[in-house]
Amino acid sequence: MADVALQSGVTSVTEQVDRARVLQRLRLSDAAFRHLTRSAAILVLIILGGIIVSLVHGSWPALRTFGFSFLYTEVWNPVTEQFGAISPIYGTVVTSVIAMLIAVPVGLFIALFLTELCPMWLRRPIGIAIELLAGIPSIIYGIWGLFVFAPFLQQYVQPFLISVFGNLPGLSTLFAGPPYGIGVLTAGLILAIMVLPFITSISRDVFEAVPPVLKEAAYGLGCTTWEVARYVVLPFTRVGVIGGVMLGLGRALGETMAVTFVIGNAHRISGSILAPGTTISATIANEFTEAVGDLYTSSLIALGLILFVITFIVLAFARLMLMRLNARLGK
Amino acid sequence: MNSVASFTVPTVSHTQKSSDGLAEKVSVRTLDFFYGDNRALKNVNVSLFKGHVTAFIGPSGCGKSTLLRILNRMYDLYPNQRATGEVLLDGENILQPGQDINLLRAKVGMVFQKPTPFPMTIYENIAFGIRLYEKLPKSELDGRVQHALQRAALWNEVKDKLGANGLSLSGGQQQRLCIARTVAVRPEVILFDEPCSALDPISTAKIEELIDELKEDYTIAIVTHNMQQAARVSDFTAFMYLGELIEYGETTKIFTTPNDRRTQDYITGRFG
Amino acid sequence: MTDMTLPSSQTNTPLYRKRQRRNVLTMGMAYAATAFGLTWLVLILGVLLYEGFSGLSLAVFTEMTPPPGAAGGLLNPIMGSLVMTVIAVIIGTPLGMLAGTYMAEYGRYDKLSSVVRFINDILLSAPSIVIGLFVYEIMVAQMGHFSGWDGAVALAVLVVPVVVSTTEDMLTLVPDTLREAAASIGLPRSLMITKVAYRAARAGMVTGVLLAVARISGETAPLLFTALNNQFWSTNMNAPVSSLPVVIFQFALSPYKDWQKLAWTGALIITLAVLTLSIMARALASQRK
Repeated sequence: MADVALQSGVTSVTEQVDRARVLQRLRLSDAAFRHLTRSAAILVLIILGGIIVSLVHGSWPALRTFGFSFLYTEVWNPVTEQFGAISPIYGTVVTSVIAMLIAVPVGLFIALFLTELCPMWLRRPIGIAIELLAGIPSIIYGIWGLFVFAPFLQQYVQPFLISVFGNLPGLSTLFAGPPYGIGVLTAGLILAIMVLPFITSISRDVFEAVPPVLKEAAYGLGCTTWEVARYVVLPFTRVGVIGGVMLGLGRALGETMAVTFVIGNAHRISGSILAPGTTISATIANEFTEAVGDLYTSSLIALGLILFVITFIVLAFARLMLMRLNARLGK
Repeated sequence: MNSVASFTVPTVSHTQKSSDGLAEKVSVRTLDFFYGDNRALKNVNVSLFKGHVTAFIGPSGCGKSTLLRILNRMYDLYPNQRATGEVLLDGENILQPGQDINLLRAKVGMVFQKPTPFPMTIYENIAFGIRLYEKLPKSELDGRVQHALQRAALWNEVKDKLGANGLSLSGGQQQRLCIARTVAVRPEVILFDEPCSALDPISTAKIEELIDELKEDYTIAIVTHNMQQAARVSDFTAFMYLGELIEYGETTKIFTTPNDRRTQDYITGRFG
Repeated sequence: MTDMTLPSSQTNTPLYRKRQRRNVLTMGMAYAATAFGLTWLVLILGVLLYEGFSGLSLAVFTEMTPPPGAAGGLLNPIMGSLVMTVIAVIIGTPLGMLAGTYMAEYGRYDKLSSVVRFINDILLSAPSIVIGLFVYEIMVAQMGHFSGWDGAVALAVLVVPVVVSTTEDMLTLVPDTLREAAASIGLPRSLMITKVAYRAARAGMVTGVLLAVARISGETAPLLFTALNNQFWSTNMNAPVSSLPVVIFQFALSPYKDWQKLAWTGALIITLAVLTLSIMARALASQRK
């Protein structure tokens, strides 16, 4: 090399000064970048604040007009401008409950299958299939529900339910006819299919986090697979499973498109789960662009606010549970 | 090797140039270090001399790596870690708040336990650091890259594949790439933090040879858990135990006639 | 089999047989549950493929949405969806990346990051229709009309949390030794992040963006009252813009057979796009290891 002298370890004084100057300049851009990232992080909080403020602002006319009675009034009459939220709230809750009653046990059993029973070579394909199911946009579930699932229910399942349960005291109102096809039960079933992959994949992840020694110890005592799952895996992962279930519930409560197609959009509370009803999100999706008058629009936004508050609480609870599991696992 | 009077703590010379021609490059004085409330270093005093290699030995957890990471203030990357006392680099206290940390790190380079090539080409791994400080024409930059790779004894192995990813090299080659990367920035001090602990014996020998060549131009500190390595590569050795610097002096002296019982126990393999 | 090694005195007790029966029963339920779950996937995709492909033709990609009873295609909603998705990604990705960067690099242990992490996780699963209302309030209501920009902003709000969380996760996976190596040659923090950490986490971060695109490309609810819909070809982002999901919604609920057919075809296109994106994201993520 020609400049061997220059390459020696000792840098010259002028070079020192140059370096200091370069770093001085970089220090400005360094601070700018740091503040940029910090602002972006704060923006996430601002988005949340913005959602709350805008929803409260938008729903103010309705809340002022109706007060607390908005929460428990069943009337929804755009002509007389009388609005109450109880039937969409009821529909939202009932469809979600139906969905969870089916999806939670099924999801847990699938997760159990994937972690304990499934042959190794099949785990990945089935896991991927479940996650693909989770990735399908909800509108696909909606259109499928409308054209395939609802007619099927109307023709085969609902008449059967009505004839079997129709004469039993207590259940007769729950399954009172006629078979519409679309309605609360259909929406709940579609929601169940939709949240199933969420619950499955979270439960599977949570089950896989159980330290193998715990399970091996139980198997070593001669426990059956079911006993290991019931007395070792589930107790160990309980908070995580609850978190996963809550996450699924959050999805079900807020889901719009899958429900809107098949719920029937009827603003009334019916004792029968075969009857049409509505949910908060379906009401907003169906009526918002056609709403005339400030009070109507405002009432719909107030529905959105209620939905947001409910899902916020459920999701926050879910996160707290999952955080507790991670803390237990020492993550 | 120069003949040096043996050192014992705390009578380390703090003069810039001692009587026997040793130039003090780094001087650590009354240094304490804390991880949160946990005091990891206790009143450490030690010096690094220009053109010489100083080894830090001791059982794991003794604070030798911690000490090294103070010399370029690497601990600044993490919260709740702080150092008190003085670390003088050419007489200037690098622990004081106004210190430009990046400038300090450009002057005090570091080679780590595990090879850490950047996820880019071999050429870029070297050129990246140079370009940070200097705008050079391509030919000159090429020359600097070549020189750095030559100094790290890697040039002949990689000259035909400078465009390959740095991660495609073997472990020993990756470590020499990291040394080249450090050298390219033209540091004055190079810190080696157990540089061979992840390497095979042949690669280890190469790195040791390299350290011996590099000490002509740089002030070098090396942390190692391998006592033979310390004996082979260093001029001075410091023995640390439980956060304290127990004994510090010429390597031959430390390994033959240590003053402290604990030093003797350690080098004879009774603990650690 | 474990029971072969047991003496028969133990295996023949009523309790043992009861335990075995219960195990067989529950394990049978696990198999059944899995079959049940996979059946839906097959049913939904099967019908979708059948209905969708039977309506697929070149005209779908070259012609505008038709009036009822006439033939036509989905060109304008496809273009509308593409344009709004691209704009949403352009707005949302940098914001999400920067926020995720703060949480993983600068404030990994501070209060702000843990609060943002918590809120972001909630936004990740918040009902998208509420996001639509939010954008309606802050944009549509202020400007007095629906527009493509409003739709793009609504989608961007959905992109942000996805990108934030994947960016944070991926940067957290970058080993600290690499950061220290970058610091050791005097790299300032910002360059350490942008030149070294981003590069090391690149595949994962691209995965995050792909997942975000997959997420928004099927979103309908937030577009219903932001971008609205448009029967005609429109490149004007200040006017209502048609989008594939909204057209599917409208056409599927209509009484016209042609429209319903187009809705199925649109649904197939969206699903294929989303599945392709998720598979690409998955391949990219596994390639990293």
